[in-house]
Amino acid sequence: MTRHALALAFFAAAAVMPLVIHDAYFLDSLVVILIWGAVSAAWNLAGGYAGQVSLGHSAFFGIGAYAAALLATRFNQSAWIGMLAGAVVATAAGLVIGYLSNRLKGPYFALATIAFSQVLLIIASRWRAFTSGSEGIPVPFRPGFATLGFASKTVWVYLVLALALAIYLAERYLEVSRMGYRLAGVREDEDAAEALGIPTRRLKVAAIALSAALTSVCGTLWAQYVGFVDPFYVFSVDLSVRFALNAIIGGLGSAMGPFVGSLLITTLETYLRATFSGIHGSLIGIYLVIYGALLIVLVRFVPQGVVGWLGARARRLGRHARA
Amino acid sequence: MAALPQLLVSTVLLGGIYALIAVGLTLIFGIMRVVNFAHGEFLMLGMYLAFWTFTLWGLDPYVTLWVAVPLFFVVGLAVYAIVIRGVVRASHNVQIFTTVGLSTILQNGALVLWTGDFRFVRPWYAAVVLRVGDAAFNLSQVVAFAVAVLFTVALFAFMRWTHAGRVMRATAQDAEAATLMGIDTDRVYRLAFAIGIACVGVAGVLVSPLYSVYPTAGLQFVLLAYVVVVLGGLGDMVGALLGSLIVAGVEVVGSYAFGSAWKEVIYFVLFIAVLLFRPAGLFGQRGAESLGA
Repeated sequence: MTRHALALAFFAAAAVMPLVIHDAYFLDSLVVILIWGAVSAAWNLAGGYAGQVSLGHSAFFGIGAYAAALLATRFNQSAWIGMLAGAVVATAAGLVIGYLSNRLKGPYFALATIAFSQVLLIIASRWRAFTSGSEGIPVPFRPGFATLGFASKTVWVYLVLALALAIYLAERYLEVSRMGYRLAGVREDEDAAEALGIPTRRLKVAAIALSAALTSVCGTLWAQYVGFVDPFYVFSVDLSVRFALNAIIGGLGSAMGPFVGSLLITTLETYLRATFSGIHGSLIGIYLVIYGALLIVLVRFVPQGVVGWLGARARRLGRHARA
Repeated sequence: MAALPQLLVSTVLLGGIYALIAVGLTLIFGIMRVVNFAHGEFLMLGMYLAFWTFTLWGLDPYVTLWVAVPLFFVVGLAVYAIVIRGVVRASHNVQIFTTVGLSTILQNGALVLWTGDFRFVRPWYAAVVLRVGDAAFNLSQVVAFAVAVLFTVALFAFMRWTHAGRVMRATAQDAEAATLMGIDTDRVYRLAFAIGIACVGVAGVLVSPLYSVYPTAGLQFVLLAYVVVVLGGLGDMVGALLGSLIVAGVEVVGSYAFGSAWKEVIYFVLFIAVLLFRPAGLFGQRGAESLGA
């Protein structure tokens, strides 16, 4: 029950806040929290639910970002078409990677995915004729719904909120569906699941492909929101780590976890950036040092994540209250 | 095929350097079964050590080398005690994210302290080119190769013929049985990790005259080292040496054929191919169970 309450509080707060607070900086933070939460939730499909921990998800994010930017600049297409195209390409890429790396476990799957995102980074940053190379692509701003050009940050909050909510609800549904139980079986004990006749291979590939498609959609929205696609950012390993980090801090394989993780991490980042940027320019990297330390401490001492930890606390409190 | 001698010489020299980076990684993996995602960052730290001692005190990297061995050994002991020790027996995911966290800390720590500028170590011999027949090569490449081979051979001898080496191999084979025989596995892991870090730190110092130094310099090398280690069979030192030569060969021939801008793509594709088709390595099956092959 606590999980429903947490989700309700989170999404309701996100929906109400833009009506009350009109500060651009605040709304920007809200958009960013929701976007990173949504990507991490997409990552969670593969990493949390299927146990395929990827450190190359920035590949799919970058595919989405580039699809929209390239279709808009080179072929004069709407960003919605770009979003669709990105999702199709990312699904195909996810299917290929998922199928090829099916035998790999744990660190090897992570390494293979890193290598994949690096290949895309090199292609995007070297193929100057098509992708403008390492200079990146400015995404043209064309106002209107059809071109995904919104000047109002409030509109962006609701757009991203809708996506976040859709991913959240899909994962809640997954948890109680047949596929969800089967995935849990694959994650916990693949051999046992296989012995029970569960098509483990197909399930893992499907989870990765779906995760890739959703990550790509987030990438498109992000590119449209920020207005610029930089290959060294969108395909970076740091970004992939960030997707994973939110989910791990919030709780692996929990639908609400990535959003809670994103809320904590993005707030921390915004705070640290604001604190340190005034003192010395290069100190800006210090928030990443704190990130890293947080990651080490959390996976060691709170491996179930904040949501899991809260849930356990709530259950304990409930028992005390009854006794 | 006029280029053949040059390609051969370049392959061997490059392979020697890759081997030194990879033996530390294969040692840590082979004995502890921990994949160290922060391995490249220690290489980067070695490069910065060489850069600063050279820039501030004019110390030649080949002098710094002898300081780097004990220094990185101690760094390895400290990192093991603070970060790694608690996760040696933890799940893969916990190990991955612990070492990824470590890598994030070191990379960005370097960025904060020393900025993202590309730095160069240019001792007098950096520009010296030797010519033998049709092949030309850089003097520091030759030195790096010689030292790398020296270290790799020394490590191999250590593992093979000393008591400590035998204890380490026993622990790698079966940690539980080793414990029952009275081996303090925690000490073994500590030693393995420290030696592995010392190797890669030395490698960083050695390559500093050849490559630019910057906070994420370790990333491309560590991915390369993983290719080598997986190719050679996890935990297999001789395999790592052969794997290094193969990877270096692919890189050298690939750069020659397609231009050096695309050489990274070649070894990443090679990496993915190896993981897919021969995850247990070209020569053996060791460690195969840990990657689910």
